[in-house]
Amino acid sequence: MLRNLSSLARLVLLDGLRRHALIGLILLAFGLEAGGLLFMDFIPRNIGRASADFILSVGWLTGFLFLLFHAVQAMAWDEERRTIHTLLARPISRTQYVLGTFLGLAVLLLLLNIILGLLGYGILTMIRDSVKQVYFPHLSLPHYLLSWIGLTCIELMILAVIMLFSGLVRGGFPVLLLTVSYYFICTGLPVVRAAYASRLEESGSALNGLLVGLTILFPDFSRFDFKALVTSSATGTVSHLLATDFLVLALYLTVVLWGAAIVYQRRDLQ
Amino acid sequence: MIHFENICKEYSKELFKKGAMALRDVSFALSEQQTLGLIGANGAGKSTAIRLIMDFIRPDRGRITLFGRAGADVQQKRRIGYLPESAAFPANLTIMDLVRYTARTCGLSTTLHKERSTALLRQLGLWEVRNKRLRTYSKGMQQRANFILALLNDPDLLILDEPMSGLDPIGRRQIIDLIQQLKTEGKTILFCSHILGDVDRLVDQLLVLHKGQVLFNGQPADLLDRFGAASIEEAYLALIAHQTGGHQHAA
Repeated sequence: MLRNLSSLARLVLLDGLRRHALIGLILLAFGLEAGGLLFMDFIPRNIGRASADFILSVGWLTGFLFLLFHAVQAMAWDEERRTIHTLLARPISRTQYVLGTFLGLAVLLLLLNIILGLLGYGILTMIRDSVKQVYFPHLSLPHYLLSWIGLTCIELMILAVIMLFSGLVRGGFPVLLLTVSYYFICTGLPVVRAAYASRLEESGSALNGLLVGLTILFPDFSRFDFKALVTSSATGTVSHLLATDFLVLALYLTVVLWGAAIVYQRRDLQ
Repeated sequence: MIHFENICKEYSKELFKKGAMALRDVSFALSEQQTLGLIGANGAGKSTAIRLIMDFIRPDRGRITLFGRAGADVQQKRRIGYLPESAAFPANLTIMDLVRYTARTCGLSTTLHKERSTALLRQLGLWEVRNKRLRTYSKGMQQRANFILALLNDPDLLILDEPMSGLDPIGRRQIIDLIQQLKTEGKTILFCSHILGDVDRLVDQLLVLHKGQVLFNGQPADLLDRFGAASIEEAYLALIAHQTGGHQHAA
């Protein structure tokens, strides 16, 4: 099983690297970050917070572009060009196909985040060294790493959902639209919950139940957003909260990938 | 080795697209060391039958068994070599990447897979270009690359979907010689083709499909005798004409 998964993941990884999926995105991120540096002078105070937010937002944007324009397309190409037939002509199950492809894309994503993370840390250090300490008092490496891990967790959840959507609908464009819609619902739902928080107590459990139910389907990504900690001087993080977050991630990935595997098991390949 | 029993397959409706019946109650069997030629016009159901055997699609009705086990058992693919109708490779990979994938998933040892892949790459003339990306290969080279992948695990059963399609005369000759050699080695082969001249030379058993139905299943000589034809092509055309005429008469 592991040998099959790693063999398939290796193909996905090599294909992605040779397609220059990462180089283009890294250049884009570098361009954005270099451009952003020019505007740092216009930030009146708290340069540290603003630049950390900016670096991580560029990282997020780049990862999201990878998901929409590489991961979604890679799945669609497999079916449209019938590459999936070549892969499944070997003793590899459809579940292994889903998991192996997910693994390959996840490794690509991880590589992208590692490179962007290193690049971003260099830029942050450069900014910190070039401004007065009052504007950039603190840069925490562990929290910076935690922020990137959080970002990667969100991207992995979206990647798992892409695997599911790719099984449910044919073609890259519908999957792309569904993924974007999913992301907007995930980011919008906490806002809706907050807006109705005061009314919930009055309106009873039905609406509350609905919103909680929707949160299971459309998780609150803000729980993985640790950007604010990067430049804060607070020491340590609440480890049991982190453990809950990662448990949620593990559960979500398991359920969604299991769903994707079931969908692929049952359907005809194009 | 292959038992295809009362298979019905309908491609389900999609948006702006009607459903289509691809196979109606099709049955056939292929015994060990036999070569079965699946022939028919475009849309006859040949590729559907092959995709069903490979478990890429599932039958609506009927039962498929391979090596005495259910067709959906993936472990059987260790004993199968499959050649798709058209090259279907991830564009940026090399033949060596896919050779490694095939070897690892089929559980071949490193020594064995290197030995076999080197021999096959040399035999089929791809040794010099083994590290070039597959998208740079010509159609004939892609077909040969597909053959290398199909034969790497030394399969007992070969399933070849239009092995000669799109090849020039030299490429076709090379593939025909290879299939002849595999036959001599005692491999069981199922292949579909609409180039009937090639079928004539290779098969022990013939299955003629027309609009998803079996029109003939037996030895080529029987088909030739039935219509007093000199070639499979002639006999096939007579069979189709007979069938079409029959239907018109019935209508």
